[in-house]
Amino acid sequence: MSTALLQELHQEVRRIYIAGSDLATGDFRLKRMLPQFEQLGERAPVFKKLAEGIAAVIAPESQETRTSAEKLQDLGLLLSSVLRTLGTTSVEGELRDTANLPHSLTTNLSFRKLAAVKEALTTTGSGRYEIVREAFEAKMFDDMRLLPHAIAALNDPYSELADLVEKKILPSYGPQIVPHLIATYDASGGRLHARKLHVIAVAGGADMNELVLEAAQSGSDEVKVSAIERLADYEQYEPVLLELSRERKKTVREATYYALAKRGSSPAITRLYEAFSGKDMDNALEAACKCDNADFTAMLVNGLELELKQASVVMEDKKKREALWSRIYNFLKALLYRQSDEIYTLLEDVITRYECYVQFGWTDLFDYAADYMEKCGTKSAMYKLYELERRDNRYLPQAFRCSHRLLSPSQLYDRYVEFVDVDVKPRSKKELEKYQKALVEAIESIVVTREYNTHSVPWMKSGSELWISSIVMIPAEQISDEWDDRWLDWFIERRAFDLVCAFARPGHAAAEEFLTGLLVKPLKQSYEFAEKMVRGLLRMKVDDHVRWEALMTLMETTRCDVIDVEVMEQLHQLPATYYERLVAVFPKHRHSSLELLEYVADRMKTDANLEEKA
Amino acid sequence: MIELTEGYVDSLALNASAIKNAQGLVKKRSFVQLNKSQDGTLLFGECAGSGKSNYACSADFIEPEKPVMRCSCPSRQFPCKHALGLLYAYVGGETFEQANVPEDIAAKREKAEKREQKKAEQVAAGEDTKPKVKKVNKSALKKKIQAQLEGLDLLEMFALSLIRGGLGTVDSKTLKTIKEHVKQLGNCYLTGAQTELRRLAVLIGDEDHREAAYTSIMEQLTLIHALIKKGRAHLTAKLNDPELKLDSESTIEEWLGHAWQLSELKEFGLMSEQVELIQLAFISYDDKGRQEYVDEGYWLEKESGKIHRTVQYRPYKASKYIKEEDSFFDVAVVSELYLYPGDMNRRVRWEKMIHRPLVSQDLEPVHANAHRSYADAVKLVKNQLKNPLGDHNPVMLLHVAEVRQTEQGQFVIMDEARQHVLLNDVFSLGHKTVPLLSHVSEANLRDMTMLVMFEHDQDSGRLAAQPLTIIKGADITRLLY
Repeated sequence: MSTALLQELHQEVRRIYIAGSDLATGDFRLKRMLPQFEQLGERAPVFKKLAEGIAAVIAPESQETRTSAEKLQDLGLLLSSVLRTLGTTSVEGELRDTANLPHSLTTNLSFRKLAAVKEALTTTGSGRYEIVREAFEAKMFDDMRLLPHAIAALNDPYSELADLVEKKILPSYGPQIVPHLIATYDASGGRLHARKLHVIAVAGGADMNELVLEAAQSGSDEVKVSAIERLADYEQYEPVLLELSRERKKTVREATYYALAKRGSSPAITRLYEAFSGKDMDNALEAACKCDNADFTAMLVNGLELELKQASVVMEDKKKREALWSRIYNFLKALLYRQSDEIYTLLEDVITRYECYVQFGWTDLFDYAADYMEKCGTKSAMYKLYELERRDNRYLPQAFRCSHRLLSPSQLYDRYVEFVDVDVKPRSKKELEKYQKALVEAIESIVVTREYNTHSVPWMKSGSELWISSIVMIPAEQISDEWDDRWLDWFIERRAFDLVCAFARPGHAAAEEFLTGLLVKPLKQSYEFAEKMVRGLLRMKVDDHVRWEALMTLMETTRCDVIDVEVMEQLHQLPATYYERLVAVFPKHRHSSLELLEYVADRMKTDANLEEKA
Repeated sequence: MIELTEGYVDSLALNASAIKNAQGLVKKRSFVQLNKSQDGTLLFGECAGSGKSNYACSADFIEPEKPVMRCSCPSRQFPCKHALGLLYAYVGGETFEQANVPEDIAAKREKAEKREQKKAEQVAAGEDTKPKVKKVNKSALKKKIQAQLEGLDLLEMFALSLIRGGLGTVDSKTLKTIKEHVKQLGNCYLTGAQTELRRLAVLIGDEDHREAAYTSIMEQLTLIHALIKKGRAHLTAKLNDPELKLDSESTIEEWLGHAWQLSELKEFGLMSEQVELIQLAFISYDDKGRQEYVDEGYWLEKESGKIHRTVQYRPYKASKYIKEEDSFFDVAVVSELYLYPGDMNRRVRWEKMIHRPLVSQDLEPVHANAHRSYADAVKLVKNQLKNPLGDHNPVMLLHVAEVRQTEQGQFVIMDEARQHVLLNDVFSLGHKTVPLLSHVSEANLRDMTMLVMFEHDQDSGRLAAQPLTIIKGADITRLLY
């Protein structure tokens, strides 16, 4: 009883605090309460004190020595102290047993470890993903206190983090996580609930099938998509998937096509092909690409054949022709990375009818055919490639690479340089030049490649390893085994610098002359000239002093990158006599390059000292 | 030979990033050299840094209670990541080759030894070794008390003018005036009052929740009123006392801004010797009123069964260089425990501590000291809450017969007499633990001991408790940290 009265008084006092104590004089609500307090005050002294307080607050200012604010503060202080002794700890209503969802989690992490992860899961900003990932790897999510935050992070605005939680962290809890998610799961919800469903299905396994099925049939679009993904694992749901593949929503259909591709059964791929070859081609394309099934490949080949037959029909109409091409292009995309006899036969036919299709500008079709034939690598495929090559230099690389594998070194040289057994040769000088240029480029793409690797660099001050991208030429032995000797002379004639460096062999006077000539007058256009030159000289096996001198000259005259695997190796061998020249090129270098040169110079100095002592 | 655990090394680190960086050094194999002394009390090594030469770091365990970490790096964090990395390498089982103690460390050890010797000699000669409590300059202290009184007058005048005008009229201008007054109080040696006024500014500044905050603002104003009244009475009495003595009985000195020194506490006899403490809960929060981060640990003193509180303040500006405290899972064996004047949970401090692993027998006093009757416990709590300057969030151990839920899903704990207390998250703490109860196993929710923090909510008139830790037998479930 009296507690309610005190609460009421508290509300009134609070009101006066807000309104201002100056307005308390004669406050009629307090005045109305005063008699009750006076009455209670006869029995309990604390009420008497409160009554006095109330009386003082409402009394006119002039009758008191204290200001209105002071009187209010006194009353407020007393009242809040009294109220604090009257707090209720009990609750109304029935009490029931706790609805617990216990699990095997612990609470062993310390504050500092826990707080960082908690913060990452509950705030926004950069760097959070790494913290959460590391925490997961360190098994910190076994701590119970992170569980609610992990569940909440499914809704994180940074989707990569939400993905991590959905795909890795929450499923790692196993079936025990399911009830926690079901408690707040809503099939008609958005992305968050789609994620929840995914975790429920993955962690709960087959036990959750009913829930997943319901979601696939009556959930929101996002939830549906997530559910359909899971249904693909179960044969009994195939009819449901077939039905869903005719949904109105594009995203749902797309997801269903994926699921059908994953199922791979006859009705599934028939339906997928139906969609792909019909009006829904764009939406079914990605699923079609993913469907790894021989029957499906045969269907695609048949379909492509039919489409190609349309070409002659729609020849005149540009619009229709473009539409047809986009369909053909989608077929090619779906057929990419597949191999079968049907594809081979079809492409053989395509190459035979080159003139028919080239007039529409369908070069992508032939590119696909050429790449496919090269991949086949058979003699008959090679002849088909020659057919293409004869028509367009564009296909020379594929034909050349295929020939390189199938012909002997001399046959290869004869065919490509001497035109032995070639029916159509370049007719004009211009054509010949174009052809030769294409040939050089094709060979370069086989012989000179790049590699990106870590190398240990003991000279570096910060760290001992460095990622270096460097030129790699196929080994000299392989060249002498697999390539005709005449190539080198031909390259020198063509002034193909890169290839001369790769093919250079000891005792070849023309090559040596060519390279030393270039040392004096470096090629301006050549990319990484110095690095390649060093390799050429090495293959040439020129005298050490010649090579060192060349390296020094290159460093002085060209933009030589010293952080190159081969150049570094040579630098370490450079004798101390080059000390002064080396120091002179320091200003051309910065950062790690400079560190390397300084290291080499230091080494030279110690070498020189040792020699002196000796 | 020294025995180290990873947890112990963690506890030496200033903050979590220092741990990460130190472990990174070990992972990256930045330690060029790892050595230990013949007797195994010194670990030292060299670590590659960004500079030209390596950093020489060492960890000296000649005094196991107080290991000394040294490093030649310029970091202002002590211990730095290199010294910590050295310890992690040791814990991680890296091989440390035996070597002679380096000269510079030997010299430092010698110096320390001499210092100790000198101290011992002084003790032997009967001199007082403890740093003497500084002789008080009485006239200066009088001036200080005068200034404090003036500061209280200033605070009162301002608070009253605010109330006269009404909280409904406060605006950005009022906020500005409050901040000016906070500054002025800084000249009056009244850091405690300054903090409370700043807290008021924080409450008023939250314009989005103004309506809901009125009750808290009103509470804060009455608190300031109580502080002024009690503070003035205390200061006036002190002024009249020829000794101008500190009050070691109540918390008023701290409220006014006095920072107790250990020597002062010792002088008042507020020190226990050879005490074993177990940490039951840990909290860290950002105190906007103090402009500091606060790390609080709640510890059970095994012998007396009392719950003490360790408080570490880390001012925003220096937080990087002050150790961030952490949860502590071992038993702390403290030779000298200093107690601050206070209420149910007194603040404690110590300078030296050794730790030993917690065994199940250590938890027996936890259960033995839990309050079995909620009626009695609540009476104690209310008795403390009544005091406007008392700690309004007392922490207690309660024996829980069972945990139940209301129709609305609220959790309730029950004692053996079926008296119950509602569990609710303490608003001012800002950490939710009640929802975690649904994750705790059924068995751990019966016949167990619970560490709770109480809070009275003025608006609803409810006294509720927030569960911090559940102790069932030897099994500890920390719901907070």
